[in-house]
Amino acid sequence: MFQNRAEALALALPAAVFAAIVFLVPVVILLAEGFRSADSWSLSAYTTFFSDPLNRTVFLRTFRLGLMVTAVSAVIGYAAAFAIVNLSPRNKGQMIGLVVLPLMISSVARTYAWIVILGRTGIVNQALQLVGLSDEPIRFLFTETAVFIGLLQLFLPLMILSLISALENMPKDAIPAARVLGANWFQVFFKVILPLTKEGLVIGGTLVFTGSLTAYITPAILGGSKVLMLETLLYQRVTVANDFVAASVIAFILIVMSFAANLLLKRLATARNKR
Amino acid sequence: MSDAAFLNLEKLTLAYGDTVAVKDLDLSIRKGELVAFLGPSGCGKTTTMRSIAGLLSPASGAIKLDGADITRVSANKRSVGLVFQSYALFPHLTVFENVAFGLRLKKLPASEIESKVTAGLKSVGLSKFSARKPGELSGGQQQRVALARSMVMEPKVLLLDEPLSNLDARLRLEMRTELQRVQKETGVTMIFVTHDQGEALSLADRIVVMLNGAIEQIGTPEDIYNRPISRFVADFVGFENIFAVEGGKLKAGNGPIDLSGSLPPDTAGLAWRPRMVTLGSGPFQGTVRGASFSGSTREYLLDTPLGAIKAEEDAALAARETGSTIAFDLPVEKAACLKKFG
Amino acid sequence: MTPRVFTPLVLFLVIGFLIGPFFIIVAASLSGGETLAFPPQGFSLKWVAKVFTVESFQESFAISMLLAIGGTAAALVLGVPASYALSRYKLPFSETIRTIVSLPIIVPGIIVGLALLRYIVVPFGLNITLTLFLAHTALVLPYAVRVVSASLNNLRSDIEEAAVLLGSSRAGAFFRVVMPNIRSGILAAFILGFVTSFNQVPVSLFLSGPGVRTLPIDMLSYMEITYDPSVAALSALLAFMSIGIVFLAERFLGFSRYV
Repeated sequence: MFQNRAEALALALPAAVFAAIVFLVPVVILLAEGFRSADSWSLSAYTTFFSDPLNRTVFLRTFRLGLMVTAVSAVIGYAAAFAIVNLSPRNKGQMIGLVVLPLMISSVARTYAWIVILGRTGIVNQALQLVGLSDEPIRFLFTETAVFIGLLQLFLPLMILSLISALENMPKDAIPAARVLGANWFQVFFKVILPLTKEGLVIGGTLVFTGSLTAYITPAILGGSKVLMLETLLYQRVTVANDFVAASVIAFILIVMSFAANLLLKRLATARNKR
Repeated sequence: MSDAAFLNLEKLTLAYGDTVAVKDLDLSIRKGELVAFLGPSGCGKTTTMRSIAGLLSPASGAIKLDGADITRVSANKRSVGLVFQSYALFPHLTVFENVAFGLRLKKLPASEIESKVTAGLKSVGLSKFSARKPGELSGGQQQRVALARSMVMEPKVLLLDEPLSNLDARLRLEMRTELQRVQKETGVTMIFVTHDQGEALSLADRIVVMLNGAIEQIGTPEDIYNRPISRFVADFVGFENIFAVEGGKLKAGNGPIDLSGSLPPDTAGLAWRPRMVTLGSGPFQGTVRGASFSGSTREYLLDTPLGAIKAEEDAALAARETGSTIAFDLPVEKAACLKKFG
Repeated sequence: MTPRVFTPLVLFLVIGFLIGPFFIIVAASLSGGETLAFPPQGFSLKWVAKVFTVESFQESFAISMLLAIGGTAAALVLGVPASYALSRYKLPFSETIRTIVSLPIIVPGIIVGLALLRYIVVPFGLNITLTLFLAHTALVLPYAVRVVSASLNNLRSDIEEAAVLLGSSRAGAFFRVVMPNIRSGILAAFILGFVTSFNQVPVSLFLSGPGVRTLPIDMLSYMEITYDPSVAALSALLAFMSIGIVFLAERFLGFSRYV
């Protein structure tokens, strides 16, 4: 550890000052705008925002979808991570590569694929009509289900990767030890795996939840104006109505939700470290 | 034969994917026996142990315990305890809860769990640590918790994976005594896996030496130590001078050498420990290459027409000079006769 | 369920869900039909060819490349010294600095884009391309700091002390001893930053105007006008580009440990 403060600051400050000017200051001003009304501080923008039933619906939908995507990705994530961890090192590397890969592909491209799959003439509708389960094309696009599927596909890799590293950090033989002591697989999961991978679940969960809240492309393409989420609502308020106050309110809500998720993560992680 | 065959492995074949780790293994273990699986890493000893615990299902063959076929019984329904090499304590649970883990799954009444765990911790001398987390204990203490955790389940068989390998010399002696005490007090059938011949010799009633997924030799510690039947076992227990025998002659150095004594007809090899080599007289000649002093003895490395020979002599005798030529003998009557060579 | 059935089944379903849509895009882009469809109607490369003739795609591709390469390089110029200070020095307010530098990951991009538009571009009349460049630099900064810090933390810090004791200056020690050892971390940070910046939409959403557009934004607006498979073809091409980069990076750097 070097002690020279001036040197340290000279190295670190450019980055910090840059981030502060380009990110922190404009965002803080934007957020402050939502608390101003007629030259004084006020919460009126917030009461106005929440008095509109559409806004309430969008807020609750964003929250609900975020939770659902997080929960479902946790369930799938555990199964996938557990399967991957138990592979031979070589296959494991390849599988992790396949999980990482989608993260590197443009989310426009990834989301666009769902139009081909879920559209009126998409694969799912063709299949349903072929089997005779429906006579007319079912509308999947511009529904919550479509947004849910798109978000799940977008963020599942983050959950899987967090859980893989959590499972790998579990003490060796903890699972066989529980088996030999009489635990069935259900008990092994809830009494050993879950408590020992809680940290990874929290990290993955926060990433997925925050990602789902703040995703723009997926709700824009798969939800459109029928299934607005907070991000698409914000865009709409600005571009359609020039309503910067509402935008500021939504921005604040998004940031608070993201930070809350982040804080929760840190809280739970340190609570574990202290022991 | 009621005391025989408490645990029976019949034609057991174990595989990881396509790799066969153990092939057609037959073994029967008596009730209350303390058996060691001894062998180098990769010999299949740990694999065999895991299959007894139910952590690995056999590709073929059967495992029978106390008269019941448990081959297809899953790990959580066998009365088999396992103390892992890594101890595998649950870091999120206290020492008490670790020991209570299996009892709680059995849904025993709380008072019974309490008394069993307390007794279990007391017997391993860790009563006052019951509220600690495993991370706060030393390695030796963790292992005793793991032992107590298995023992409170009152298993029919207790398996131990390298129970002494992670401990320092003092703790090793302590644990050795501990295991013998537990076995004596409870009469539990114990199998432990080790790669250390010293551990196996000092602790076990019977030793199963394994190599390449098969049993090389089964016997009492005396059998294994004094009468190894194969080149591998002889080498493993410290016979340093090992030679093949063909047609009653020793195959060594430049050609077959006649032996003075008579051999059992199926002898494939002979082996001598360094201290079995007679120095100062005999039909062979050798040059002293090097010597090392180890307190009570001196060990010599000889260059001989037979090849390199290691010999040992009482340190009270005068030291032999490096470079000097001396006569020596490999007395056939002292040698271990090997049935398997190669 | 035995592991022998469970493992392949789970992996097949999950990987299929994650990667499958990509194959569908590729197939749809090779269609001979006039509208987006799967299974494709006939086979043709005309949509792939069309991508290269759309003028706006060419322009926006160039802008995206410029932002991704320039922004990431700038982020590294800021981020590498900052990472070094954070990992090797007793730095006052180090937690605050770390938080500020990683803010762009936490704050939703759309908000940043809006804030920059409202309080930088409009009042100061700042050039859009320059603003996009600043935004992309800031966006990549957290990744640069995270990846470079990770590789600095994996490097024993006594090698610099050894270099200094052997007569090197502090800066000399950094360039001669530290840099060569964290080169693959820096390269990994560059690739991660490039991909992040190139695929970034929300930050650029408000900042893109008629003249200056990043490629993903251009694709979004193109999709609103036409329903032909050229966006699929472009998506497939971009995905192949990403896969190629990641494959090479994984091959030579073991990239996935940095993600």
